[in-house]
Amino acid sequence: MENVIECRNLTHYYGKRLIYEDLSFNVPRGRILGLLGKNGTGKTTTINILSGFLQPRSGECYILGEKIGQMNPLTRRRIGLLIEGHVQYQFMTIEQIERFYSAFYPEWKREAYYELMSRLKVAPHQKINRMSCGQRSQVALGLILAQDPEVLVLDDFSLGLDPGYRRLFVDYLREYAKAENKTVFLTSHIIQDMERLVDDCIIMDYGRILIQMPVEELLGKFRRYTGSVGDGFNPHFDATIYNPAVLRSTLEAYSMEDEQSVRAKLTAAGVQDIVAERVSLEDAFIGLTGKY
Amino acid sequence: MIQAIFYKERIKTFWYSLLALLTSVGFAGYCMLRVWRVCELKGVEHLWIVMMQKDVIFVDMLQFVPLFIGLALAVVQFEPEMQRKSFKLTLHLPIRATKALCAMLLYGVAVLLVVFLPAIALMWGYLHTVLAPELWQHILLTTVPWYLAGIATYLLTAWVSLEPTWSRRIVDAIMSLMLIRLFFLTTTPEAYNGFLPHLTVLTAAFSLLSMLSLTRFRDGRQD
Amino acid sequence: MLAIWQLPWCYNFLFAGKSVSTPFTLYSSVVGEFAMLERGEDKKMLYYDRAGNNYTEAEFDSILPMFYYRQLVTDSRFPQTICGREVTPRMIQTNNFNFRLSPSELNKPRTGLYQMLESMSGRVDLELPDDVFRLTDSGIEFVDIATNSVNVAKSESFTKMMSSKGFKFPAYRIAGNPTDRKEYDEGYVMLDAERKLYHVKMTKSRPYCRAIELPADMTPEYLYITEFPARTMLAFIIDTQGSFWVVNRPSYDVVRTGLPAINPNKESVLIMGNMFDWTVAVADRLTERYYALSAEDYSLLDTLSFQTPSRSAKGLKFLSSRDKFVKPRFE
Repeated sequence: MENVIECRNLTHYYGKRLIYEDLSFNVPRGRILGLLGKNGTGKTTTINILSGFLQPRSGECYILGEKIGQMNPLTRRRIGLLIEGHVQYQFMTIEQIERFYSAFYPEWKREAYYELMSRLKVAPHQKINRMSCGQRSQVALGLILAQDPEVLVLDDFSLGLDPGYRRLFVDYLREYAKAENKTVFLTSHIIQDMERLVDDCIIMDYGRILIQMPVEELLGKFRRYTGSVGDGFNPHFDATIYNPAVLRSTLEAYSMEDEQSVRAKLTAAGVQDIVAERVSLEDAFIGLTGKY
Repeated sequence: MIQAIFYKERIKTFWYSLLALLTSVGFAGYCMLRVWRVCELKGVEHLWIVMMQKDVIFVDMLQFVPLFIGLALAVVQFEPEMQRKSFKLTLHLPIRATKALCAMLLYGVAVLLVVFLPAIALMWGYLHTVLAPELWQHILLTTVPWYLAGIATYLLTAWVSLEPTWSRRIVDAIMSLMLIRLFFLTTTPEAYNGFLPHLTVLTAAFSLLSMLSLTRFRDGRQD
Repeated sequence: MLAIWQLPWCYNFLFAGKSVSTPFTLYSSVVGEFAMLERGEDKKMLYYDRAGNNYTEAEFDSILPMFYYRQLVTDSRFPQTICGREVTPRMIQTNNFNFRLSPSELNKPRTGLYQMLESMSGRVDLELPDDVFRLTDSGIEFVDIATNSVNVAKSESFTKMMSSKGFKFPAYRIAGNPTDRKEYDEGYVMLDAERKLYHVKMTKSRPYCRAIELPADMTPEYLYITEFPARTMLAFIIDTQGSFWVVNRPSYDVVRTGLPAINPNKESVLIMGNMFDWTVAVADRLTERYYALSAEDYSLLDTLSFQTPSRSAKGLKFLSSRDKFVKPRFE
């Protein structure tokens, strides 16, 4: 399958602080990829590199086969960008902003924009800086839909949105992306939203990628194990068991290994009454990255 | 696409431009009113003689008006772009970033010309009826560096506004202050005549500084 | 570039305070020596001459009677004769004059408009005219202020008069002192296109023009009208070699002074003259030189010089004490 986004060996520092080293990933056409990570693991850094607002210390990124930084400006027509917080030109009204952007995109889909706007309870002459965050998110989304790009890069689309708007945004986007075979790269700090939306996920820890796989595969394999342990139990397992922790003589641990081998390891360590459960993406994320 | 950029700049600056035009023409008009009052009260002879003997030019109060108009225009035009980094939106447009920025600066300079030229025309319109060419040229040539300073201040403020990091912004602002001082070294009328070509070239060169900020913005420089 | 401009500026602003001050110096014909006056280290005034004689304040008044004549009159010490000549306070007052030249006055923007006063109105007080004139390539042009239009008749009459005296337009240089705050008016001295010297004024509403004969091998460069109360001089001239000349009045004799070459673009000149002698102070950035001239024949009597080293740092500058223009220079 053709890779629409390709990043190879990205390394970046802020000053002397390493953000990550040798980060590589691809996003194939038609897939929705979510980048998950705690604050400070480099989500926004990656988005900034992808949208051309940050020159990485080393490594390279390609979108639609063109190297970012040397991209033909016209290629940006095929890339939709949602800036963190749904930022759009605050000083424009709904009508002005549509008129402004339409000049840049020959394939501009005016109806798509106004269809979404008609659901907002805002006057056409209302300026964007007078709108709620939810309304602004719809304007930003509407503009992306009208631009109709092949690739969408969305930075923390759930920031500042109440649950209704978040759900609206997610459903609209998923339906659109799937129907039009769009490629999406996004981040969010609310992982519940991602579960409904993304096909693949990359989970990042400080300085590295923990896992990169389809969400379905992750949720299919990932289990939470609980069991009782005696006093003074000191959890020591190999790397296939994530974040084992004991709370009031109950052990909690996570793994993607097949259930039988994990049970064997736990039993061998003295854990009793072992229960294995499937978990949500959010729990899997916490299981992988830890609570702290 | 360039026209769309102009459209965006117009939305940001329309009301300010009107205000700036009123201010510019208003101040120039007030100066002309004072000249007219001198003629009415003391006679036009007095006007000529104080100009020739005391080097009075009657428009001293205009000195910093273009500077403040240029400064405020740059703020009105570029601060909305820097709010929550919405300049990223401009840079993501399918147009070369330098071209987009050039269009923005060009728009601003055009606004300043539209704001300044009517004021100069107004002064000429009145002065050339009561003063010999030597004298009205003396007044208008004295104001030229002030108007140039307006454009220079605009371009330098754009440079400072677009700079992504605060530490560098402060350095740039201090350098801008020094550069602007160049336009106000003396109050001697017409002292700048021979230096005007240099100043014009220098002012034009100031537009390149914004490109420097643009590059730094795109490289993702942060505090 | 900013640094080579701003750093010396900061240095000079912070450190280069007052340059070395020189004593107030005048030539005294009474003692035949330069006499000086300055504030000593203990803030007391010191009065002395170059020969090393110290004076009291009262003694100092009497060796410079031309300068302190009013003090002498007040103290009833005014002498009957000075240097063998009978004098009165009125004579001294009439013959005293001050004359100042500075590079920044020479090199400054000018409008190119002048006013021609009526020099023989028959009234005691001078009056400013209601017109101005400019010098064009082909003549002199009077502009009526009230109507802001050229007075063709007057322009033609002056142009014709000047041309008939041999004046070739365009004029190379013009000097005058168009103010009503002077005792009398001598109009203008001008150099024509061939650098010949002319005296032009308006008497009884009519043009007056006279060619002034110059010594051979002398080419005037800068002109200054004097209009001192004594009425014995018309103008000063500095020629292309820097020599300083006096045009006597009413003879129009052009007499060379004993001053060494002066560059008015770089040196300031202050002349304090009286009926016996002139003290001429010529200053540039490094020296202050005093010359004593005889008021009789302008011959050099004595010289004195002070070093005035400057502490200012060199750098890119846009202003200079030598002119009033803004331009980049390294000094």
